[in-house]
Amino acid sequence: MDAPLLAIENLRTYFYSRAKRAFIRSVDGVSLGVARGETLGIVGESGSGKSVTALSAAGLVSAGPGVISGRIDLYSNGARRNLLDGLENYARITERDGRVMEVEKDERGWRKRSETLMAGVRGKEIAMIFQNPRSALNPYSTIGKQLVETIRLHTSLKGESEAKERAIHWLERVRIDSPRLRFDNFPFGMSGGMCQRAMIAMALSAEPSLLIADEPTTGLDVTIQSRIVDLLAQLKTETGITTLLISHDISVIQRLSDRIAVMYGGTVVETGRTAEVLAPEARVRHPYTTALLASIPSAETIRRKSYLQAIEGEVLDTIEVPRGCRFYGRCNRVTEAIRENCAGLEPPLGEVAPGHKVRCWLYPATGKA
Amino acid sequence: MKLAAIKPVSRVLARELGITALLLFGVSVVVFAILYLAPGDPLNVLLEGQSPRSELALGMREALGVPRTWYGQYAAWFGKMLQGNFGNSIRTGLPVLPELARVGVYTLTLTLGSLALTLLIAVPIAVHAAAHGGTAGNTAATLVAYVLSAVPVFWFGYIVVYVFIHQFGMFPLISGTAAKQEHAWLYFLVPIFVLGIASGTLSEMIRHLREELSRVLAEDYIRTARAKGAAVWRHAFKEGFLIPVTEIMSAKIPFLLGGAVIVEQVFNWPGMGRMAWQAAQDRDFPVIMGIALVAAAFVRLGNLLQRVVFTAVNPRASRE
Amino acid sequence: MRRYVQTPGPIGEFSELALRQRAEPLDLVYVGYGLLVVAVVVASYMLGAFGWLPDDPQAMNVGLINAAPFTSGHVLGTDFLGRDLQARLILGIQAYFLPGLLAITISVVGGSILGILAGYRGGWFDTIITYFDNLLDSFPRLVLILLVIAAFKPDIYYVMVVVGITGMPVIANLIAGKIAFLRQKSFIEAAHALGLPAHTVILKHILWLNCRALLVIQATLGMAEAILVETSLSYLGFGVQEPTPSWGNMVQAGANYFLQGNFWPSTAPALAILATILGFQLLGDGLNNLLEGKRRR
Repeated sequence: MDAPLLAIENLRTYFYSRAKRAFIRSVDGVSLGVARGETLGIVGESGSGKSVTALSAAGLVSAGPGVISGRIDLYSNGARRNLLDGLENYARITERDGRVMEVEKDERGWRKRSETLMAGVRGKEIAMIFQNPRSALNPYSTIGKQLVETIRLHTSLKGESEAKERAIHWLERVRIDSPRLRFDNFPFGMSGGMCQRAMIAMALSAEPSLLIADEPTTGLDVTIQSRIVDLLAQLKTETGITTLLISHDISVIQRLSDRIAVMYGGTVVETGRTAEVLAPEARVRHPYTTALLASIPSAETIRRKSYLQAIEGEVLDTIEVPRGCRFYGRCNRVTEAIRENCAGLEPPLGEVAPGHKVRCWLYPATGKA
Repeated sequence: MKLAAIKPVSRVLARELGITALLLFGVSVVVFAILYLAPGDPLNVLLEGQSPRSELALGMREALGVPRTWYGQYAAWFGKMLQGNFGNSIRTGLPVLPELARVGVYTLTLTLGSLALTLLIAVPIAVHAAAHGGTAGNTAATLVAYVLSAVPVFWFGYIVVYVFIHQFGMFPLISGTAAKQEHAWLYFLVPIFVLGIASGTLSEMIRHLREELSRVLAEDYIRTARAKGAAVWRHAFKEGFLIPVTEIMSAKIPFLLGGAVIVEQVFNWPGMGRMAWQAAQDRDFPVIMGIALVAAAFVRLGNLLQRVVFTAVNPRASRE
Repeated sequence: MRRYVQTPGPIGEFSELALRQRAEPLDLVYVGYGLLVVAVVVASYMLGAFGWLPDDPQAMNVGLINAAPFTSGHVLGTDFLGRDLQARLILGIQAYFLPGLLAITISVVGGSILGILAGYRGGWFDTIITYFDNLLDSFPRLVLILLVIAAFKPDIYYVMVVVGITGMPVIANLIAGKIAFLRQKSFIEAAHALGLPAHTVILKHILWLNCRALLVIQATLGMAEAILVETSLSYLGFGVQEPTPSWGNMVQAGANYFLQGNFWPSTAPALAILATILGFQLLGDGLNNLLEGKRRR
């Protein structure tokens, strides 16, 4: 990969369920890289761990018993820093047979360390937009004040009036009509789409190196969704900002991302260039990716009036992870030749073509992988 | 150009004032109804200064123009109160209102003081618990809160007095007037402390503030604030601190005024609560009526202030 | 440092609805203690009503005043006139038991009626009940009670009528909320669609089937309130008068000896108040957590 901006290596984020007295393995060994200037789309069902991956990268996993391990390297200003550096000193993890059995965690120390690591990164280097923009904006403050706060925190514009001019400039760039009026609006008086535009303006106004968009179209009306996607596409060509895009909607990912990572059960099951992975004629494709594609309506399926396919079975329970392939229980392409492997051995993420990796026993790796 | 942001705050305030006036009117009706229904014709004592004893007196009243219908009596009674005439105490013969003003200061000191003291204790505990999500001490704290809310205030007062006498060699029973003595402020502080701790005020305050702040800290917009590297407390302050603090203060005023009746009794505190006790003892209803009205007015005033803060802070309040 | 431990072996089936799973052990402890207190109170009330007391509560023994517990036949000691504290504590329950039942009956019946009017009829009924609620909240309750005492007479039943009325808005609000919830689920419309008459829907399907847990919980909490009011008043000297015992006047009488270091005669009834109010409160809150699932955490 050329000139990475963010490199996630073997990320594991576990939560603890008090009711079940068990660890939920939300993210279970994810490695990803985002190159400078590109958009990486992560797609998967809810519960696949895609949002938790993003929140871990932004240091926003705040649940007390959450444990994160691995590396998240951010390359900025010619230096590399690990956003999880030293956190392992605050949690002692006891494992047995590859299962986490016990965690002892100094939560205050962990939180302090994490805040130190993220100071100067959150907002400044990594900005984030969320789903349900109406609740993500502070209802007690005007749009303008929230933008001005970001600008004064993270840019060289410290004066009130110049920050305000910059804020209005950003409101214009996200195509908010009459930005000077909107500047004094409270979020509750605005539509969801308008709020998301303001969120995007606020995120970009800090001029970050990386934008994490966590389900940016979820919680919006369908017609608004496509407008927000249009806006993100336009801003991408205008600003060339590096983006980590999370969505359960594979059509959004297809539209906006250069590369794609498909996640299932806390792991990446397929990754590669979007055009290659999602190409209609692609011969090599993870069964889960195929199922995701079959579940969205396309012009083709509508024309042919063919049925949409739901993915059979339940989303994987990430408490008790099976020993074999995580998708085995729902997979419809298991052949007798590989069944033994599928059931008992987790497939590696093997390179099937340059830059295209698949975690499936159907496709033996061609490279060294 | 702030056209879109203009809030009809004045209209909301007018509405709140109207509600307050309506409630105060209701308060006067309740008090009037109790006096009207009571045996021994207390209303006439208030209106004329004496009880009718005979047919002669009845005829005299008609000659004097004292109303006989209930609404006429209400109007006369209400009119007198608007002029500041709450009648004269049956026991002392003094006009009620100046007496209430005299002792009211002590009760105000006691209730507002204990409100301030409990806030001083409750806020750091609640903020700490909400920010660090403490669960280990939670069960213990909940149990302590339950026990505190069930402790009889009057007995708790004696415990504190006893501790003061035997541990510190002081005698804080002399009441708030004993200002000449050494450590006079302590004599003020002890009843304030007792009123604040007991009857569950402190524990309810901690619980309310902690719950509200934790709820707000889990809101999406706080996550946004963290994601953009802003100070979380700046974003959580209005909804997570200012509103719940004013809410609980306003909600606790009637409880503190009720508790003051007992605490003033235990500590010989010369306030309205003790006066209310004395008045009930003597069936001195002009006095107790005045106290009920003043206390209710005080409660409504606190509530009005809370609504003003809420309206000023919450942009949604003015659009309901 | 905090420890989180994975259950060894496979993780069992988990059902959201199973009471055993949802019940925290602490709630069961609350309810258990509360039920114990209720049983002791009811049993003691019976003993007092039939006069089956361990000792004569009025028999003075000037030779044995303010005795400590476990002295010669007085398990809980004696008071300032040498009367048996245990017998007087048991008899003291008479002071609040029936008046308390009166208060909770008034607030449950009145609150239910108001709540149904507000929830079922809605409209301006709702506004009126909100107004009524705010109006009653304006008075410090003890001051309102003292006003009634001064205007009428210091009678515990008059006082409990006031306590009952001031307890009505809480129940009315809860029932109105419950009805709003049932409406949201189209429950009430469904009942009407079945052709059930209004009084059947209200009495059976709303009150009995959906609100009984709520009413039991509120009645329990109401009893705690009634005990608090009765003991406070008898402490202030407006309730039961000496020589008839009530926990409040026992604390008051004992208080004269408290500062001399003789705290037991005053502390014994105070602890009885504490344990009893705590019991009713824990029972109410514990039942609430178990039956209504209100715990937020």
